[in-house]
Amino acid sequence: MNAHRQVAAVLSVLSFGLGQLYNRQYMKGLILLLVEVVGLSYFINNLSHAIWGLVTLGKTPTHFETINGVATTVKGDHSIFLMLGGLITLLLLFLFVAAYVMNIKDAYRTGKKREEGHKPANIVESVRYVMDKRFPEIFLSIPILGVLFVTILPIIFTMLIAFTNYSGPDNLPPAKVLKWVGFRTFHDLIMFKTWSYTFFHILGWTIVWAVVATFTTYMGGVLVALLVNQKGIRLKGMWRTIFIIPYAIPQLVSLLVMKNMFNGQFGPINQYLGYFGLGKLPWLTDPTMAKITVIIVNMWVGIPVSMILIMGVLTAIPKDLYEAAEVDGASAFMKFRLITMPFILFTTAPLLIIQFAGNINNFNVIFLLTKGDPVNGKFQYGGSTDLLVTWLYKLTLDQQKYNIAAAVGIIIFIMIASLSIWSYRKTRSFKEEDMIQ
Amino acid sequence: MKKSLSMLAAVSAVALTVTACSSTPEETAKPSAAAATEAPKATAAATAAATTDTDMGLKPEAGAKLVVWDAPDQKAFIESMAKQFEAKYKVPVKFEEVNPPDQPAKLTADGPAGVAADVTVIPHDNLGKMVSANLYLPNDVFADQTKKENAEAAVQGATFNNTLFGYPKSVETYALIYNKDLVKTAPKSFDDVVAFAKTYNDPGKNKFAFMFDIGNFYFDYAFLAGPGGYVFGKNGTDKTDIGLNNDGAVAGAKFFASLKKDVLPVKSGDVTYDIKKGLFTSGKLAMDLNGPWTILDYKNAKINIGVAPIPTINGKPAVSFAGIKILGVNAYTKYPNAAKLFAHFATSQAAQLENFKISGQLPSNKAAAEDATVKNDELATGFLQQLKTSQAMPSIPEMGNIWTPMGAALGDIWNDGKDPKATLDNAVKQIKDTNAATK
Repeated sequence: MNAHRQVAAVLSVLSFGLGQLYNRQYMKGLILLLVEVVGLSYFINNLSHAIWGLVTLGKTPTHFETINGVATTVKGDHSIFLMLGGLITLLLLFLFVAAYVMNIKDAYRTGKKREEGHKPANIVESVRYVMDKRFPEIFLSIPILGVLFVTILPIIFTMLIAFTNYSGPDNLPPAKVLKWVGFRTFHDLIMFKTWSYTFFHILGWTIVWAVVATFTTYMGGVLVALLVNQKGIRLKGMWRTIFIIPYAIPQLVSLLVMKNMFNGQFGPINQYLGYFGLGKLPWLTDPTMAKITVIIVNMWVGIPVSMILIMGVLTAIPKDLYEAAEVDGASAFMKFRLITMPFILFTTAPLLIIQFAGNINNFNVIFLLTKGDPVNGKFQYGGSTDLLVTWLYKLTLDQQKYNIAAAVGIIIFIMIASLSIWSYRKTRSFKEEDMIQ
Repeated sequence: MKKSLSMLAAVSAVALTVTACSSTPEETAKPSAAAATEAPKATAAATAAATTDTDMGLKPEAGAKLVVWDAPDQKAFIESMAKQFEAKYKVPVKFEEVNPPDQPAKLTADGPAGVAADVTVIPHDNLGKMVSANLYLPNDVFADQTKKENAEAAVQGATFNNTLFGYPKSVETYALIYNKDLVKTAPKSFDDVVAFAKTYNDPGKNKFAFMFDIGNFYFDYAFLAGPGGYVFGKNGTDKTDIGLNNDGAVAGAKFFASLKKDVLPVKSGDVTYDIKKGLFTSGKLAMDLNGPWTILDYKNAKINIGVAPIPTINGKPAVSFAGIKILGVNAYTKYPNAAKLFAHFATSQAAQLENFKISGQLPSNKAAAEDATVKNDELATGFLQQLKTSQAMPSIPEMGNIWTPMGAALGDIWNDGKDPKATLDNAVKQIKDTNAATK
């Protein structure tokens, strides 16, 4: 009679809610039984089809059938929808299994309580317990479900695309049925000359861009912030406002205006150079010059953000450090090198990494300013200033090479994720959270 | 379930494409082209078939509502058609602005998901690609009428694998649009253009004799094809036979590169559709290589314009890309009958004439092309003359692999004076690689 926990657990293994019923938690048991009924009916109807869809990606493509000279569309299998449907069903199955495990655990725990002589909680007590003691979990479960279906699912879906032959013009559902091709897409991207040349060149420029763009905007921000904060500078508020304006204008406006300003023949910048008797510069039309131009423009866009951050940090530096340094006879540069800069770096290191990761994917600046041009005859659908992310955009929207684009996307993700995690763990602010009180 | 799936598909599509930006104006300069091997022959003998504008007993579905995608410059015309159509069939039609070059990608994604327009424009160089993806319903009910009433070339352009898919709406090609106040008579040959440029050009003041969209192969083709280059052999159907690096094409590219020194001393990236438009409408640019889609803007700017065939190149007529604009019925439309009726209705003789009056689009309908309003229109005649020496844009799926490599190659030749032969060889190799890679 004292083996309540085993009996309850075994009954719950047989079916949701049986163990709870055995434990005389009738309401809870009935609710769990209902979950079982709904879940089973759904999976019996859908699971086999979902798995079939995921494994085969469909059999019959959509086609036309002509009946008395009138063609009608006969719907077949749409590989993409099958893949998505399969993924959704699998995610639901995962949730169902999780609930199943929890129901067994619950029956076991209640059984144990009974053995110890407690009365099992009735439904009101159970609800109250959950609301009091387990409130955070309950509250978080809703966003977690949202994240599961709105974030995780599309990410998995995108990754799966890289392992299919989903690409235009010949393999587009619903007229064609997709196939799983394993790692062939990655192999093509890295080994196949047509793609690899473009890929590695664009990858190289992406890394150069990310490093240079991050460094220039960060150091520029430090410089401007220090300048504005100098003793004896008047109208600090006005300077701050002036420097923040570039950040306040939407990039969609300012960068498209810039694009026209830098036009080699008709842009005002070259016109002015002409007035001063200087030669015209090929701002956006020469491959190397265009790279320099995007970096300069990115500084103009990015410095305000760093400036604001660093101004905030500067106010937090204890004044007595500087006073002590002055007593010791430190020069202004020494104070900057030994007090200001370490302090700024320490506080903003995580932000620096975020900015770096953001610059790897800095779509706006490149796309709006140059569209990745000037065109490069050696590249596959790419231009000299294309980053991986803008190239990916072109591959997807202009060329419909979804599988290659998905593979590039995965590679970007791996790059950014590994770099971020590695460098974040190395920063001192992560290790010594309590250094600054 | 279906609904949530398409929602999820949409969400994932967004995830897949990172971010989408609104298209910049120069995308409108991309060819929204289509093809007609030759203009509807304006001869009296043309069988101006009596238009049998019947609806073949086709009835729109109960409760049908249609959405039409078309270019911004077609808004007035489509909305006028929509009014008449609603009066006749009691079916409301909504116009949505989508640039034809953007439509293939949009329809590919939205069509199967059931959220695309019912009637769309088929940019004719995309026809093969789109039909291979089963995105259009064949033009079956009205096939005989369409074939009888439209110019042979237009019907050809709307046909793929011997099935008629589209409803031809208008024919177009680019020609020399010139400012009559600056150029008295249109130049016959490019030597005249060079001579005029010597007297007129002043880059410091942004005054130029002649401009074209240098980095866009759609326009560059005229220089390559005149001396003997071609895209695909066998009337644009043989994907293995690419003639963009033969002796003719190389000679054409050499001539094309020579224009930089004599006529247009700017980098290819600096000439955009907007900049050309600005210069032309402010009276600084004398001649522009462009299509009928710009006429409306130029007229509104009160420029006294004329249209002439493209000047000859080394004594040979320039061969431009020609096209037809075609309406197509989305294969996933909920109301196929109503959509077919509208596509037919908006491309009838009367409709094409109205379109000509509203937006200057040249009719593909034989009877409409014979109409006095078209015949007496000076601008239309200029384009029609150029159409006679134009070539249909190929519509096989591999056409999509041509634009980027060729634009890049010609840009290199123009900007950096690279060797035409080697650069074109490389571009053709790239096209072949891509064709092979998309197996």
